[in-house]
Amino acid sequence: MIEAHDARLVVLGWDFRGANGAVRERVAFTAEEVRDGLRRLLGEGVVAESVIVSTCHRSEIYGLAAGAECGDELARFVSEWRGLDRGVLEQAGFRRFGTEAARHLFRVAAGLDSMAIGESEVLGQVRQALSIARETGSSRAVLHRLFESAVRAGKRVRTETEIAVHPLSVASIAVELADKVFGNLGERTLLLLGSGETGTLFARHALEAGLRDLVIANRTREHAEELAARVNARVIPWESVPLEIATADVVVGTTASPEPVVRRGHVEAAMRQRKGRPMFFLDLAMPPDIDPGVKGLYNVFVYDLDGLQDIATENRRRRAREIPQAEGILEEELERFFGWYGNLSVIPTVTDLKRRLEEIRDGELGRLTAEDRERLRPLADSMVAKLLHEPMRRLKSEADPARKLDRAEAIRHLFDLDRE
Amino acid sequence: MHPLGWAAVVLYAAAEILAIRAMFKPSGQGGAPLLVAVGLGVQFADLYLTARSLGSVPYRTLGGSMALFGWMLGLAYLVLVLRHRERAVGPFLIPFILAFSILAVMLPSYATPATAATRGSLFAFHVTLAILAYAAFALSFVLSLLYLIQNYQIRRGRTGVLFARLPALDVIGRMNRTSVTIGIVVLAVSVCLGVAWARRVWVGLVDAKLLFALITIAVYGAVLWMDRRGWAGPRVALLSIVGFILVLFSYTFVNLYLSQSHVFR
Repeated sequence: MIEAHDARLVVLGWDFRGANGAVRERVAFTAEEVRDGLRRLLGEGVVAESVIVSTCHRSEIYGLAAGAECGDELARFVSEWRGLDRGVLEQAGFRRFGTEAARHLFRVAAGLDSMAIGESEVLGQVRQALSIARETGSSRAVLHRLFESAVRAGKRVRTETEIAVHPLSVASIAVELADKVFGNLGERTLLLLGSGETGTLFARHALEAGLRDLVIANRTREHAEELAARVNARVIPWESVPLEIATADVVVGTTASPEPVVRRGHVEAAMRQRKGRPMFFLDLAMPPDIDPGVKGLYNVFVYDLDGLQDIATENRRRRAREIPQAEGILEEELERFFGWYGNLSVIPTVTDLKRRLEEIRDGELGRLTAEDRERLRPLADSMVAKLLHEPMRRLKSEADPARKLDRAEAIRHLFDLDRE
Repeated sequence: MHPLGWAAVVLYAAAEILAIRAMFKPSGQGGAPLLVAVGLGVQFADLYLTARSLGSVPYRTLGGSMALFGWMLGLAYLVLVLRHRERAVGPFLIPFILAFSILAVMLPSYATPATAATRGSLFAFHVTLAILAYAAFALSFVLSLLYLIQNYQIRRGRTGVLFARLPALDVIGRMNRTSVTIGIVVLAVSVCLGVAWARRVWVGLVDAKLLFALITIAVYGAVLWMDRRGWAGPRVALLSIVGFILVLFSYTFVNLYLSQSHVFR
């Protein structure tokens, strides 16, 4: 377990847990604002490096301090930049340092900090944040490496665990079930009954999932045509629905009809016409659009909203069960990152310490005569080398990255290496 | 003793462990196909040595024909994995390869004496093709089981690991159709070769094995007919399973006790 608290690395953030809508709105950044913010952060010397992650549910500013710490400076900057009271900002947000800041980023990239655990969109958003930071030159060695490590950790979590396997939304679950019946939905026809809000949402989701042939039927034909124009679908007359069912592989009911639109007889006839090829019915309407009697027909799959919501609940549990394994992967990646970071921090310390001892040596030798200086130089060189050897060897060979960072910090303090 | 046969068994067992692991670890490509491929190489060497000592394809011992069966199943598994990139069938198919390979090394290797009736390339083709057909039917059996499992899961909304890893019903159905078609064609050719050979060496045509082969062809023919006539789905899968039970019966009980000209004791 890494316990280092390197105050140079900081994250200042506001997410759906702590910040209300009003605050989140003020700290939500467009891509252009992110670029502007990054340029100003570096330009004003607030931080040495910075990356800003801004999504619908969170805004986070990652910074690497030029000096020892930059949390307060960052908070002041955001307060001025967004014109928000600093107290409000601090209360609604969170601030984490060192390992905790890195761990937070890894959790975000892995989807463990999302509303829907394991969601994959956030990984792309983290990658996008790094890309903008690179473009503006605000991510250098440390944050670049940190974000790359976070993206790798996020990918590993999604491929090595089941956290992103089970869908959570009703539409995704329905599409997944249909996909497991038909294989490739791109070659199938979907008949959408109704063109209201639910119908529109489902149509969009089905098209995103690869469906190409979408047919819409609605009592008011104009509404169907409006939606069809938006989602590139065909419209059929409402009266022809019983006959057209046979041509559809997936039928989705979303109307407000008080009576079932699809009756058992319609489906029996359709199945005869289809020579028994399977059909998939999804009833998202209340009261139902699909006659309950359809459920018992051979090779016919029928799902309603309650059934799909039960699956969503179970899938949520399944994802939650993967969290410990996902966290294990994150710790491995954190350790790798801090291993690298530790080495990075040791190199300037070694160089600075060597320079400091050489300054002392040269200062002392400078007080001697030229002859004595020449005579004693080998002795002074040897002493400097011997004094440096053991501490440097111990520092470099320290396996624990956190301890290595602490020791490097101690050397810098004891020998006053940060003095200008 | 079959040191190479046992080595193949160990490789197949390891492949099964990896195949099961790959099902539960999304990232695990699993080395199962590679291990099966190595196992097939080792088992082929064992079959080759047995064939050399027998002077013919090793079908004159029950163990030899079991080994051939397991070997062809392994080949079918590799073809599936390579062509369809479908690793989900591994955990279900490899146990059959394993079981037949274990039987092959454990059963007595007493060979029925080579006679004029069991020599020659026509006869070798007849037997080899019959075994290939049975391997195709075994594959159909496994695919049908997978179909029923997946069908159950989809209907019940059980969207767990198995649901996620198993292929779509349509894909399994198509794979099953291909296996059954290959099985029927190959078995029909094998029966024709067997009849031609029997007439040449003057062996009686009236034999329980021939009768069961014809029934097998009829049952699997019905599978294909049903598939086109609106009964595609679980019913086809169930009939494919019945067909394979018939194959097993024909391969074991009929061979051992009912047949006059297909005895491997």
